[in-house]
Amino acid sequence: MSPRVLDASMSRRRLSLAELTERHRGEIVGYLARLLGDRQEAEDACQEAFLRAHRAFDRLGPEANSRAWLYRIATNAGLNAARRRSHRAVRAIDVDPDALPAAAGPSLERHEELRAVRRAVEALPPRQRAALMLRQFHDLGYAEIAATLGGNEDAARANVYQALKKVRAALGGVR
Amino acid sequence: MTGHEDELIALLLGDRRRSPALARWLGTLAGRRELRAYRRSLDTLQQLYGNAGAAPRRIIYYCALPTPIIGRVFVAASETGLVRVSFRQSEASFVAELGQRLGADVVRSPARTADIVHQLRAYFAGERRRFDVRLDLRHTTPFQRRVLMAAARVPAGQVVSYGEIARRIGQPHGSRAVGQALGHNPIPIVIPCHRVVAAGERIGGYGGGLGIKRKLLRLEGSAAASW
Repeated sequence: MSPRVLDASMSRRRLSLAELTERHRGEIVGYLARLLGDRQEAEDACQEAFLRAHRAFDRLGPEANSRAWLYRIATNAGLNAARRRSHRAVRAIDVDPDALPAAAGPSLERHEELRAVRRAVEALPPRQRAALMLRQFHDLGYAEIAATLGGNEDAARANVYQALKKVRAALGGVR
Repeated sequence: MTGHEDELIALLLGDRRRSPALARWLGTLAGRRELRAYRRSLDTLQQLYGNAGAAPRRIIYYCALPTPIIGRVFVAASETGLVRVSFRQSEASFVAELGQRLGADVVRSPARTADIVHQLRAYFAGERRRFDVRLDLRHTTPFQRRVLMAAARVPAGQVVSYGEIARRIGQPHGSRAVGQALGHNPIPIVIPCHRVVAAGERIGGYGGGLGIKRKLLRLEGSAAASW
């Protein structure tokens, strides 16, 4: 390979990191918001993830699935943020539910269902939560989820199914 | 049961087609119930997390109201409830501070703030002693929220000490932290941090200035106004 061609391919890769992060920024922030349940924390974690992506970009093989690669980096940043938070304070438990504004609109029963599901999602192990969100909202297949979270396809599928079973259990007897 | 459950999940997620065995199970009472429950689980997830990626910028509505005793008061509310009350501040700095602190677009709207403005006007006229509004305290810490809610329960005409608030929230040694949390009360007057005073009949501090604290206490007929 001549040096000139090598340069061209390198500059193409440099460009494509900016393009890559630009193209996927929205979905990555959305993913992190689903993982962390907080938009501001998601923005922060996304920034951290893109910094890491910048540092690791040279090690990304040309054949790699760059979207799954970004998701993997984002997942690590998200899990780190969640871990830091769990050290920092008891959060949800500390909030007095009566002091929080009630959601307007849905019936009381529906409101209870929404709360129950939210609680169930918040109680999920982080990997299960990540797997569920990736499958449900980001159209990642099990192979891609495995590439994102580590482990094999069967483990990825098991994580998604387990998460969904716990959400379903939170609804109890449905009319 | 678990076998059917896995198959049902696979079906709903589009991982697998309906097998004859699953179809038979879905014909049973238990099968129909689980199908409903899983559909509802997915719907609820969609409602809770579907839009997480496209969370719109929030809009905060504000308005100004002239008062006879402490000058112009600004109020601001989100869709959820009251987020801020402020005085001794220019309109420009109020708007800038709100936008920055809450990451929101700030819009002047007498219509969206009419209810609280009406209540405040009655309060300053001496015709109202408690407020009935929804609060939006999502930008405060859990500790601060507890302090603020404890202060909100002190009725007009009475005062309690920082130490008493600390005791009421179960942190008897936290009166200094209580003072700080109240000093950053985003919704003064409506959350009456002016009714919280120092021990030994001393007036304590006030973010808006001691003169205003005394005026508010006097308006409420509190003996502490002359401390």
